Amino acid sequence: MTTVFGPRLLLFIAVFVLVASVLPLWLSAYVLGVLTTAYYFGVFSMAWDLLFGFAGEVNFGPTFLIGLGAYTAALLDNQFHLPIPVTVLAGALAALVGGLLLAVPALRLRGPYFGLVTLVAVLLLQNAIVIFAAFTGGEIGMTVPDVLSIDPKVNYWYALAFLVICAILLFGLSRSAIGLILQASGQDAIEAQALGFNVTKHKLAAFSVSALFSGVAGAMLIFYMGAASVGTVIDIGIGVQIIIGAVLGGRRTILGAAIGAIFLVVVTEVLRPLGQLNTFVVAAVALAVILFFPDGLLGHVLRPRESE
Amino acid sequence: MTNSKHVSARLARGMLSAGAALALTLSLTPGGAAPAAEPIKIGVIGEESAVAGASITKAAQMAADDVNAHGGVNGRNVEVVIYDDHSSAADAVRAFQRAVSEDKVSAVVASYISEVALAIEPWSARLHMPFITPGAASTDISKQVHDDYARNKYTFHGWLTSAFIAQSICDFQHDTLVKDFHVKSTVVMSEDAAWTKPLDERFLDCLPKAGIKVLDHIRFNPDTTDFTPIFNKIEGEHPDIITTGISHVGVQPTVQWHDQRVPIGMAGQSSQATTSTFWKDTNGAAEGVITASAAAPGVALTPNTIAFTQAYEKRFGASPAYDGYTTYDEIHVIADAMKAAGSTDPDKIVDAMEKTHYTGTVGTIEFYGKNDLYTHAIKYGPGFVTGLVFQWQSGKQVTVWPRDKANGKIAFPASIKMPK
Amino acid sequence: MTSLQILVDGFAISSLYALAAVGFTLIFGVSGVLNLAHGGIMLVAALIGWWVAGETPLGVYGGTVAGIVAGLLAAYITYFLVVRPIQRSSAIAHEEKEIFVLTGTLLWGIMIQTGMAYIFSDNPVTMRPLIGGVVNVFGVRTPRNEIMIAVLCWVVIGLLWLLINRTRVGKQMLAASINPRGLTLLGFELSKIYLRVWTIYGVLAGGAGVLLASFLGVGTANAGQLTASAFSIVVLGGLGSVSGSLVAAYVVGYLETVTAYLISPTLRPIPALLLLVLVVYVRPQGLLGRR
Repeated sequence: MTTVFGPRLLLFIAVFVLVASVLPLWLSAYVLGVLTTAYYFGVFSMAWDLLFGFAGEVNFGPTFLIGLGAYTAALLDNQFHLPIPVTVLAGALAALVGGLLLAVPALRLRGPYFGLVTLVAVLLLQNAIVIFAAFTGGEIGMTVPDVLSIDPKVNYWYALAFLVICAILLFGLSRSAIGLILQASGQDAIEAQALGFNVTKHKLAAFSVSALFSGVAGAMLIFYMGAASVGTVIDIGIGVQIIIGAVLGGRRTILGAAIGAIFLVVVTEVLRPLGQLNTFVVAAVALAVILFFPDGLLGHVLRPRESE
Repeated sequence: MTNSKHVSARLARGMLSAGAALALTLSLTPGGAAPAAEPIKIGVIGEESAVAGASITKAAQMAADDVNAHGGVNGRNVEVVIYDDHSSAADAVRAFQRAVSEDKVSAVVASYISEVALAIEPWSARLHMPFITPGAASTDISKQVHDDYARNKYTFHGWLTSAFIAQSICDFQHDTLVKDFHVKSTVVMSEDAAWTKPLDERFLDCLPKAGIKVLDHIRFNPDTTDFTPIFNKIEGEHPDIITTGISHVGVQPTVQWHDQRVPIGMAGQSSQATTSTFWKDTNGAAEGVITASAAAPGVALTPNTIAFTQAYEKRFGASPAYDGYTTYDEIHVIADAMKAAGSTDPDKIVDAMEKTHYTGTVGTIEFYGKNDLYTHAIKYGPGFVTGLVFQWQSGKQVTVWPRDKANGKIAFPASIKMPK
Repeated sequence: MTSLQILVDGFAISSLYALAAVGFTLIFGVSGVLNLAHGGIMLVAALIGWWVAGETPLGVYGGTVAGIVAGLLAAYITYFLVVRPIQRSSAIAHEEKEIFVLTGTLLWGIMIQTGMAYIFSDNPVTMRPLIGGVVNVFGVRTPRNEIMIAVLCWVVIGLLWLLINRTRVGKQMLAASINPRGLTLLGFELSKIYLRVWTIYGVLAGGAGVLLASFLGVGTANAGQLTASAFSIVVLGGLGSVSGSLVAAYVVGYLETVTAYLISPTLRPIPALLLLVLVVYVRPQGLLGRR
């Protein structure tokens, strides 16, 4: 472990987890609620970063995977009243299968083509939900009878634990041999291939991991929210937020992506008194960061040296 | 809302720094007679970019000022705390959480969008916070209260459910189009959305009962921009009238209907057509369009309607959207419930709201009970709330139904061929 | 009868799609930029055009001109404020420029959309048609405005073709799209060529925005959809290929119209999306693209 993380980073993570886990003792239910959502978005952005930052694939459709997980879980809960763990597992599975169906042919594509296919996948899913409104509730969404917990502290701890586990697994993966191969193939696929690595296989693995985590996070998010709707888990706008979070925090860092996403949710909330203009200001701030600090908030600190 | 002066004022305001905008938002605290105690806060979640969303926050502000001018509630002033949800369900849930646990509000009025209202409903149950939506139409909102009363009783549905909206349109068509224009057939045209499902079900049931044969039932994708194929198909079926169920779209189909000179009138629910800016947004293509709405300028649905409309126009320079009327009434309903309960305890407020009998601007408001199908939705029918139906005529909203409230007669432009 | 209706109706909408997409494909072809603020730029043109036409004495024609100018300005701001700083930044690695341009223009598009909603509200608006009335085309009642829009689109596209293929400026652009390095070696300034392309793009996107406002109507909520539709058409036709985009615009336009007429208006966008996925899988270079 220590060789993967380095002592300083390990210390940083330990301090973060310690501080974050005792926060509920002081913070109000509202702040905890914001952080709970922010942590789930942190997972979304990390999963996206694994795919983009390391495999070099611009995925415009993170919400396709998230939405599959969320809606599968919501449907099973709403229609068949299955217990939450079962539905979350099913959601993860659905995201994995959907992700593979999308990825296997799509991974032959590069750049904008891959991006467009993932974008279209989201649009198709969104249309399907509206067309099959009898099952899915259509554009107004579907309430889930079960929730993780109604205690904001418990919800917060669930989200935090989930974030930490995902962070450790994804970060570990990114620093493992697989991560390095992915990174190499993301930068120069032909050379990586020439060195004898099966690039497609590794990318597929990255996509599967990304899908799995997105699906679970999507399912858990709706069991926190109490309702699944297009605007909460599928809308392109949500996907944009995830991507911006990851780029803002620093691509190819995993942890940076999580922090960027959390930062974005929190800043949006802090700026809420601006009323309708807060989206505008958040977009402007994010644009400024991208233009002036292209490595993101944490890019310099967290980026592995060898890629500089 | 979109006269030239206003737009340039907004342009200038947009150039103000974020700080100034912040000050502007925060400066919206009410004055009025000032009982000394800590004010009672009511959260109001709207959306300033949308005409319907902005009406909610504006009307709420007016209602709070009125309540305070009449002595407040239990010796305390009412203060509205305003949030913008950008019409996003996730955003609205966070605003709701903020209202409840940060700003310590005692009740929340939120949104005209069913998706948003349904996303807030579980949070209203979880946080035991009385919540009313002044404009959403989905029947699911009250159905959930009915199905799990103990949990969801904090939610109230302050606008007609889509089933009742359909019923009011059937009643209107029966009373006027069938009797005066000998309309015998129609095609139902509605956007494919969850709120139109119960609407269309009721249409298919009540239109035949009103004496109108439904020749076809067309649902279209809400992202549609080109409506030519739909109008051509309808025209081929030769109905006497098109019965609409649209909200997501409105300006576009109306303009294309006009530009293509479709010879069949449109009457039904067209939410965008209820706004005062619709005439300008469509460049007058709205001529002849008939839609159901909560109220209309100059029509005294109750003795309170006109005074409210005038005061609103004077203060904001535009007439309120349908949910402006309901929001204004419902802030009063909440204030009265707090007075009756003598406290801001959520369960006591809910009990008192269930006993509401309040004559507001749209009619007399009562809520359906625990054993009714639409628990906590406002009652529909003569003596309660019926809404009204108006027609756009030369830039004016002319009310044509209910007959005793009408201030004009239906008249179609020359390009529309009515059976009479 | 139905087939004639499909033919006539599909033509106008397809022409408009074509006009909106050619500019998008042109900038990609010449400078490799996918501009995700595209819908936002069309929106600016449409709303300013509508506002000038309705609220000032300049009328519809003044509004049309004002809209196009506004679109051009919006395109310039996009280029100078977002795209060029990223292209010139030394802190961004070459292979990452693409994602930065995508994210940057996306954010800028969101800013345009929310800013416009703040000023004008999110109500969709329509411009008064440049010419009113309807005529019969093969027995199909068609608004004159619709015919004029189709004609106008083709005139503009024709002019663009002449510009690219028959003038020095156009040939430089073509050269820049094939071999930018070679062009710089010959002493041409790439930045000058890029600026010209963005100028042409601004006029095209602005014009498409104004015409869209007068034909179908536009609201701030449509910005994302407009970008996605241009993106799809351009990929379907082959990225960077102007003639490919034209063909693709007609394929998509007619596919949507046929679906709405013959299958169901509910499913209108679906077949085009499926076709897009299929083409990208089977023939990633698009219908007429080069690899």
